[in-house]
Amino acid sequence: MTQILQVAAIAAATLGTGAATLSVMNEDVPDFAVPEGDWATTGALDGRTFQIYGEDPGSGAVLEDDIVFRNGTFQSTDCENYCNFGWSDYQTKTIDGVIHFTSTAICPDAPHTVVWYGRVTGDEVVIDGTWTTRRWYWTNQIEVHATGSVAPSVDVAG
Amino acid sequence: MAIASSKSLTLLGVILRVCVVIGVIALATWGVHLIRDTLDLQIRPDNEQQVHKAIMVGIVAYVGLLAMPFVPGAEIGIALLAAFGAAIAPLIYVCTVAAMMLAFTIGRFMPISTIERLFRVLRLVRAAELVGRAAPLSGNERLSMLLDRQSKRTVSIAVRYRYVAMALAVNMPGNSIIGGGGGIMIVAGMSGVFTPLATFLTVMIAVSPVPLAVLFLSLTF
Repeated sequence: MTQILQVAAIAAATLGTGAATLSVMNEDVPDFAVPEGDWATTGALDGRTFQIYGEDPGSGAVLEDDIVFRNGTFQSTDCENYCNFGWSDYQTKTIDGVIHFTSTAICPDAPHTVVWYGRVTGDEVVIDGTWTTRRWYWTNQIEVHATGSVAPSVDVAG
Repeated sequence: MAIASSKSLTLLGVILRVCVVIGVIALATWGVHLIRDTLDLQIRPDNEQQVHKAIMVGIVAYVGLLAMPFVPGAEIGIALLAAFGAAIAPLIYVCTVAAMMLAFTIGRFMPISTIERLFRVLRLVRAAELVGRAAPLSGNERLSMLLDRQSKRTVSIAVRYRYVAMALAVNMPGNSIIGGGGGIMIVAGMSGVFTPLATFLTVMIAVSPVPLAVLFLSLTF
């Protein structure tokens, strides 16, 4: 019995110290910092769809996506290919005729958080954001920069 | 004159050897950079799940293999560090400590006959022979096994400063001849002269140089 307790103590010490070490040594990478302001749920972009093109500056990977707004919620069709984010609430504020919007999508099946921040001027949109994956052993982040314009509505599930 | 010449030759020899070692390290670093660039491993939304699964399988294999005597496991850790760089260093460090403590726990608490039989079942003949050689020896004699071919004085000092000896043995290049990290820790556990807490602290310090160098000095392979 004493031996079992000693083995359990060694296991607990190893796992506990390991977890503490990982949490101390793993530097968290913060999500995209959306500018503060009078964000409100207005549905100002409801019914609009934008085709956007951009890239991940880290890897040079090309982004082609449709972002859709409806009923106060937002969805990226490309992100849906990798995780069932579903529809996420979005908020807006208007400055000098430019509609700023932000939305945070959280993957229910994996530790992905995608933060979107866009500026809509007429039919044009400029997007910044981050796709952050927080595993227990590291945090990986992909930056997104894209531009686009209004597209015909696309059919999306949900 | 002859003595002076011999000394200068020795000094020259040392300098040459150091240069060769630095050259080999530089070449190895360049080679691994080349492999890494060729692989062009990028973590993207479309492959993140696969990368995560590969890392999980890799670290389980790493811990298991590293804890076994005469089984090359460190290479998996080096490969993970080479592929993912500093970001994976904390995980490799924690897994290395876990593997060393697993081996120590097996050696300390599992009956010697069971360990030997287990290794024979796993076809790890050299590991089984290592355990078989250690079985009839006393604790200090088992410890001195780790210092094969060393003088009595060295063995005596090693027994006195056994935790330093353990740390050095685990880090010694070519320690695979005496069983590698896993073999050293199993025999250390079997010796009964190491307490779990002090061993744990020793291992935490002993295995830290490479991952910490990668993490804090931004070294990449």
